[in-house]
Amino acid sequence: MIERWALVSGLKGDLDTYELIQKDLKKTPGNITLFVLGDMIGPEKNCNRLLHRLINPKSNDLQPWCIYGWWEEQILLESGYRGDQRAEALRINKGEEVVKSLTNAVDKSFLDWIAALQFGFVELDCGLIHGSSKDVGENLTLDTPPLTLLDRLTRLQVNRLFTARSKQQFHLELTEGIVNSEVEDLNGNRKKEQKVPQKAVIGIGAGKNYTIYDVGTDNTQFVQAGYKTEKRIKGFGRL
Amino acid sequence: MNQAVISCLHANLPAVEAVLKDIELQGITNIICLGDLVGYGPQPNEVIELIRDKEIPTCQGCWDEDVVDGLDACDCSYPSQLAEKRGHFAHQWTTDKLTTENKDYLANLPYSIRKDKCLFVHGSPNSQHEYLLPDMDAFAALERVENARAEILFCGHTHQPYIRELADGSIAVKIKNAVTKDTQEKEIQLPMRRIVNAGSVGEPRHGGTKATYVVHNDVTNEVKIREVEYDIELTCKAIIDAGLPPIFAWRLKNGFEFAEQAEDASHVCER
Repeated sequence: MIERWALVSGLKGDLDTYELIQKDLKKTPGNITLFVLGDMIGPEKNCNRLLHRLINPKSNDLQPWCIYGWWEEQILLESGYRGDQRAEALRINKGEEVVKSLTNAVDKSFLDWIAALQFGFVELDCGLIHGSSKDVGENLTLDTPPLTLLDRLTRLQVNRLFTARSKQQFHLELTEGIVNSEVEDLNGNRKKEQKVPQKAVIGIGAGKNYTIYDVGTDNTQFVQAGYKTEKRIKGFGRL
Repeated sequence: MNQAVISCLHANLPAVEAVLKDIELQGITNIICLGDLVGYGPQPNEVIELIRDKEIPTCQGCWDEDVVDGLDACDCSYPSQLAEKRGHFAHQWTTDKLTTENKDYLANLPYSIRKDKCLFVHGSPNSQHEYLLPDMDAFAALERVENARAEILFCGHTHQPYIRELADGSIAVKIKNAVTKDTQEKEIQLPMRRIVNAGSVGEPRHGGTKATYVVHNDVTNEVKIREVEYDIELTCKAIIDAGLPPIFAWRLKNGFEFAEQAEDASHVCER
C-alpha cells in the first residue's frame, strides 16, 4: 500500500475547510496519515467546533496528528502557560483587540490539550514543524538564505523539512553544497571538506492549500481542498 | 593593532592575574572578555573587581547570567546527575558570596560586543549556553557567523581554544514554486568566515592545565593561541578552603579528561 502524508496548517478555526480536506483525503488513494502543523486556532472566528472535532474525530475521519503553531503559542503565552511571559509580540504588532479576540475564540477547556501538543514530529528522515527548528514563529520561504535552511535541517538532523508558518507552498531542494574547514588548535592543524547530501525544505501552505507527500517516491503534491482530481504532475499535482 | 581576547575566568584569580601579566608583557592594552567571570572557582568577587578595575569590556557568560537570573541551564549541560549536583552547589555558593554591587555588574553585562567586522559572544550569537565546538557541522558553524553579520566570531564557553576558517563554500539549490510553477536552479557562493574560540583562563579543558587566551591582530587578521602557566596549587588550596567540591581542584591539576563536558555539545537549553 502506498503511504502518503497529508500536511495541513492554518485552519484557524475553519471547520468547513477541515471537513473539505477530510472529504478529499477519503478519495486519495493509499494509506494516508494526516498531520496538522499548527495554527488550528486564530482570532478571526470561534475555534471551539474545530478543536472539538480534532480532539474527537468522527468515526470516518482520518485521525489528525497535531502540533502547536504560532497562534497556539500566543494563546499559551497569554494564558500563563509559559511562566511570566505574555503574548507581547502579538499585542505590540496587532493590538489589544486581537489578543482579546484570540482568547475569546478558544474555550479555556481546550488550553490543556493545546499545551500538551508537541513542537514538531520527526518521521523517517523528515521534520514536520510549524515554523522552523529554531522557532515556532520563524518564516521559512523561498527567499530564506540556503545557509539558514541548511542549519534548520541540521538542527533536527533531517533531510526533509516541512514547514507551514509562511503559508506558502514551495519545494526548495538543496542539491549540492561544499565548504572547506580548517581548524587550528593546540594539537595542530586539520582540514576537512564537508559536503551536503541532497536535502529539501517544503512549504505546505495554509487553509485550503495543503500538501500530499508520497513517502515511497519522495513526491510532493500541492493541493487545494475541493478541487476535483486532475492529472498529477510531479511536484505540482492537484487532487 | 593587537587585541587580547580572554574568556571563562571562573573565579580563578591566580590564573586571571597570570594571563593579564602575560598580556601586559606583550604590550597589549586592548583586551576583551567573553564572560563567565564566576562559577567553579573560589574568588568570584576578586575576579570581577579586577576586571572592573581594568575596565575590560566584557560579555555576559552563562554562569554570569545564571547567578543573576537563577539557573537556566538544564541538566543536559552536565554529563551526570552528580556533576549537575556539584554545579548547582557551586552556583549557590557563588550567589551567596557575590556582593550586591558585583551581581549588578554581572546583570548589566551585554550579550555581545561588536567591533567592526568582529563579534564577541560567550557561547554563540544565539545563546550563552550554545557550544560551538571545533568540529561542529561546518555549515551550521558558518551560519552562526553569517547570520550574526560578522566576519570573525569570537566565542568561549567550550574551554577549548581554536581558530576555525570556513572557506570556498557554495550551495546549489533547485526551487519549485507552487504558484508560478517555475523551476529555478542557482548556485550561491558562501563567504569566507572565521570562528575564534579563546579557550579558558580559569578552567582549561584543552588537554593541559595552562590557562589559554588568544591574541588577534586586527590589521593582519592573524590569531595566536597563548598558553600561560599559573600557580595552580594556590587556586586548588583556595577551592578546598572555601568548601567547594574537591573535584574542582583535582581537575584543574589534571586537565581535560577529568573536566565535565556536555554530552550533546550542540544542545541549546530552552528551559
